[in-house]
Amino acid sequence: MIEVKEVSKSFGALTVLKSMSFTVARGEVVCLIGPSGSGKSTMLRCVNGLERHDSGLISIDGMTVDTKSKTIGSVRAEVGMVFQRFNLFPHMTALGNIVEGPVQVRGRPKGAANEEAMALLHKVGLSDKAESYPSQLSGGQQQRIAIARALAMKPKAMLFDEPTSALDPETVGDVLAVMKDLAHEGMTMLVVTHEMGFAAEVANRVLFLDRGEILEEGPPSELLKRPQNERTRDFLQRVLHPGERTVRDDRP
Amino acid sequence: MMQFFEDARQFMPILLQGAYVTVQVAFLSLALSTVLGLTLALMRMSGNPLFYVPAVTVITGLRGIPIIVQLMYIYFVLPEIGIDLSAFTAGVIGLGVAYSAYHAENFRAAILAVDRGQYEAALSIGMAKAQLMRRIILPQALRIMLPPYGNITIMMLKDSSLASAITVSEVTRAGQLIASSTFKNMTVFTLVAFIYLVMSLPLTALNSWLERRFAAK
Repeated sequence: MIEVKEVSKSFGALTVLKSMSFTVARGEVVCLIGPSGSGKSTMLRCVNGLERHDSGLISIDGMTVDTKSKTIGSVRAEVGMVFQRFNLFPHMTALGNIVEGPVQVRGRPKGAANEEAMALLHKVGLSDKAESYPSQLSGGQQQRIAIARALAMKPKAMLFDEPTSALDPETVGDVLAVMKDLAHEGMTMLVVTHEMGFAAEVANRVLFLDRGEILEEGPPSELLKRPQNERTRDFLQRVLHPGERTVRDDRP
Repeated sequence: MMQFFEDARQFMPILLQGAYVTVQVAFLSLALSTVLGLTLALMRMSGNPLFYVPAVTVITGLRGIPIIVQLMYIYFVLPEIGIDLSAFTAGVIGLGVAYSAYHAENFRAAILAVDRGQYEAALSIGMAKAQLMRRIILPQALRIMLPPYGNITIMMLKDSSLASAITVSEVTRAGQLIASSTFKNMTVFTLVAFIYLVMSLPLTALNSWLERRFAAK
């Protein structure tokens, strides 16, 4: 479904992606984990053309992702994206946010789009918030609306860019629950996350990225429990047991 | 004091006629400058040098030349190349063009102030550039640009007095004509000042109403 082949990207002199290749099969859930600056968000943003990759090939269900192409809009419409900071449209209600894409981009009639949007609101557990504006919602509620907004386009795959990193801890669970439901329904998902519990439970595969490269990949039961690479081990140690670490010895 | 009111009663009809012209000049030039300003702002932000370079040149030129000089140019110089405009039309076009630069910079600042994430969210649901601007960015920019827009509107109302320099018979010019024939400077210009002040009050009220209307939800 998602194919990434030898994709490289640099910002000026800084190389953020070094000839990265991976695929996500239909219905598969793949988590990208790794330290900040490892290139995982950039990789995700290249997949729907929010960043332009310098070389290599990205395709979604056979459609090539090319930010300069006239058809990039129709490729993006096929891929849902959920952002760390929600990015809901503040001048529209929750319902307005969800129907915006179907009505404006797909040309769906308003009535039908509204009905589908209400079903999505029900699915994310926010039926009573249809007429609320984003500023009247908690972070977790906003993120669930953002997921519903992406789903309203009936995407072939969903991209999640650290969807729970900006949330208050008590609202994280609701968002993860919606994501788990999606995964169980067979949605193809590529998820950048620091939620190792989610990765362990839901992901079919986990890719560990560091400095623009995939250092290790495998099913979560393997990669998270028995990491082979030393940097993977070090990263997992720090993420899973942040309290136990002493200041790292950076002597050579 | 009695004399003042007596004179005022005599002058007021003429001044109010002038005020009516002032309102027309201000309103028409505001409409023109708003449309031109938005066009210039979008051209400047297009990223295409074909649009960007002319927009920056025009904005810089308009801001660097006094409005009164621009008005004189349109009214006195353009006829020499065969463009003969009435004083009223020249005044409206002159003020409209001159102020478009200020509107353009205000619009541009407001558009830039909209969060980057809004563009990305709109792109991610497959929106095209024009759609994204119309549906997502401009409605949010509107809220940001309203307070300075109200300011510029009031400045335009007052600066419509510059059109008196090219013989547009608006309220300042009407005042000048009365004053020079009656020498009642104090009465005339007090009335003129009062008329401007009264005309600006509804604008201030309208602007705060608009700001409330489009306030962040």
